[in-house]
Amino acid sequence: MVEENRADKSFPHVDGGFNFENFKRNVSFMNSDSGIKGTMPKAWKTGTTIVGVVFDGGVALAADTRATGNVIVDKNCEKIHYIAPNIYCCGAGTAADTEMTVSSISILQEPLRDTHDTGQISSQLELLRLNTAKSSRVVTAMTMLKRHLFNYQGHVSAALVLGGVDATGPHLYTVYPHGSTDKLPYVTMGSGSLAAMSVFETSYKDNLTEQEAIDLVAEAIKAGIFNDLGSGSNVDVCIITKDKVDMKRNFITPNDQGPLRASISKPATFGYFPPGTTKVVSTDIETFATVTTDVEMLEA
Amino acid sequence: MDLLQAPPRGLFRESHGASATRMDMASAAGMGHDQMKFELPGVQHPAEFVSQNFSPGTYEDNGKRLKFSKGTTTLAFIFKGGVIVSVDSRASQGSYIGSQTVKKVIEINPYLLGTMAGGAADCLFWERNLGMQCRMFELRNKERISVAAASKLLANTMNYYKGMGLSMGTMITGWDKRGPQLFYVDNDGTRLKADGDKPFFCVGSGGTYAYGVLDSSYSFDLSDEEAIELGKRAIYHATYRDAYSGGVNNVYLVKETGWTHVFSGDTYHHHDKYSAEREAAANP
Amino acid sequence: MTGKNCVAIASDTRMGAQALTVATNQERVFKMNNKTLLGLSGLISDVYTVKQKLDMQVNMYKLRENRDMKPSVFNNMLSSFLYARRFGPYFIEPIVAGLEGPDNKPFISGQDLLGASVFTDDFVVAGTSESELFGTCESFYKPDLEPEELFETIAQCMLAAVDRDCLAGWGGVVHILTPDEHIVKHLKGRHD
Repeated sequence: MVEENRADKSFPHVDGGFNFENFKRNVSFMNSDSGIKGTMPKAWKTGTTIVGVVFDGGVALAADTRATGNVIVDKNCEKIHYIAPNIYCCGAGTAADTEMTVSSISILQEPLRDTHDTGQISSQLELLRLNTAKSSRVVTAMTMLKRHLFNYQGHVSAALVLGGVDATGPHLYTVYPHGSTDKLPYVTMGSGSLAAMSVFETSYKDNLTEQEAIDLVAEAIKAGIFNDLGSGSNVDVCIITKDKVDMKRNFITPNDQGPLRASISKPATFGYFPPGTTKVVSTDIETFATVTTDVEMLEA
Repeated sequence: MDLLQAPPRGLFRESHGASATRMDMASAAGMGHDQMKFELPGVQHPAEFVSQNFSPGTYEDNGKRLKFSKGTTTLAFIFKGGVIVSVDSRASQGSYIGSQTVKKVIEINPYLLGTMAGGAADCLFWERNLGMQCRMFELRNKERISVAAASKLLANTMNYYKGMGLSMGTMITGWDKRGPQLFYVDNDGTRLKADGDKPFFCVGSGGTYAYGVLDSSYSFDLSDEEAIELGKRAIYHATYRDAYSGGVNNVYLVKETGWTHVFSGDTYHHHDKYSAEREAAANP
Repeated sequence: MTGKNCVAIASDTRMGAQALTVATNQERVFKMNNKTLLGLSGLISDVYTVKQKLDMQVNMYKLRENRDMKPSVFNNMLSSFLYARRFGPYFIEPIVAGLEGPDNKPFISGQDLLGASVFTDDFVVAGTSESELFGTCESFYKPDLEPEELFETIAQCMLAAVDRDCLAGWGGVVHILTPDEHIVKHLKGRHD
């Protein structure tokens, strides 16, 4: 009952972890006959083709860049997330889940770091590195991810391809939403995984060179982009070797619409609405006060 | 022959096997096929099957069900000068507006009008079919069919396909020997006659709003101009409050000489007019 | 939508419960500070709740730090706020638009109800008319518009889109943010 009486649960740093204050309310929304269900917003999915392959001396990861809701909501999203300087992770599934579970760049770290159950694997790893003064191992990241996902019994829908190079060499894992993992030389995940896997099954061989690995993963992602409706747009590739990470953002852009759009002739006035086109009922203007930064020195 | 069990005329089924089934208006128009009807699905309970798979739900046919165009305000009332029919023109599929310029008054013949609410295809098809049956009546009996009889033909058709998922809420109006007539017919087989106690009907998702206007302003002794104005006003208020009604307002007036299309105008301009009126009333 | 040193958020003004139009003067775009606008589509009770909770955080930030929260920081704060409710979300889809840094670089982002962000440099859309808005914005958007031109473009995109959506419309409002002005224009739209 202590939980219930916390003063403010609006923000995670107050008590950490997920906030269930709306849960009962939402269940009753979903059960009501009022038709409210049909008008509720939908969570974005990454749709996705993500792949990884181990090559001689490193790991190559790749992903498409489409995010979908009712329509394509992002034509160039980033699905290869930073985990540690030597470890990266591709995410498929509910966009918010993959991002929040894995990423460390785009979200506040501080409020969430001391709790394991709002994800933030990368921030936990960073802390671990600071505490131990040793670079992170891929198996550590994998274990943290699987514990987190297993803990939520599949409700956090993140399907991941985790790759990196550590003191023990290159490693490549897949992590499923329920927390199971695989360690394989070539892996695919997401709705386009079958298309991508068909490329791997055709062309994979042991001891690929770096260039061969890049070409192979890019080809696999292209198979997903063109054959899976949930995947699309561009190919992102990330090459991790012992002493270097090469993030090739938009490595291939097979769906660039620029030239096509430019080739369509439109009158110069197309899409130009001269001032006054729109009928305005009222206008309110708030002018911001200019703040002067001059400091007047007082005599001592 | 039990009339209620007889399939509607105008559709036929060839006697030699289900696969050859098709509709043929030439044959239907009295060339020897008397037993005519739609082919029904070959399952044990056709009505249940059809209504489960093809019926339009109200505001809920997103997802797997087929999408039907619906969402409407239509109204009609009898007054001393005849009958006013006033309708909106929006066709929606879910929340998407498919068209803003649908003709929801179906001109069955120069003396009969039908309105359209519910499934657009169902209304259009069966009222066209009704027009054919009315013409057949005329040819056989050498006089025009009464509005009561015409609406009864449609109600019989609806009763025959009851529970199969047809979606139709219509008003049949006209002028016959007994004067101005107005009937309400829907897919349940309901058939109601407008008379002194209930001189008007409103059908569709915006119908409740239109009833509000009619209830407060209707009088039998309205002049033609006042009646047309009332029809416009009721539709405007319905399109304002109901998300699924809108577009152009069409008004018809039924007289002894047949119907005339007396008004057609965008509700966009109605808003300017009625909100200005309201403001003027508030600040005289 | 982004313009040259300016951003704008447009919204319709209908508030309804399914088919019933309850009000036609609903505000759902808010100025969080002089550099940040927030647009919230979705369940209106959640719009108010979230707006108030965010206001508190923005004010607390200003008191603690003695500076305004940047749009990008605001976006991240909102994202964590929504993701904390991963299993009991607020039914809203937010749009953040603002001017970032000393050179007032336009910033816009959109999120889903769980806080997954999308960052673009042209436009983001949300709400019941989402697909219609994508169509109009893809057609009419041009980069580097001046505030007056941006107003016309965003207003026309919005009005055209809601005319194909039963559940939106009944007038509109455009908020334009420039380095030294916050302009609010109410639009005339269809009322059906």
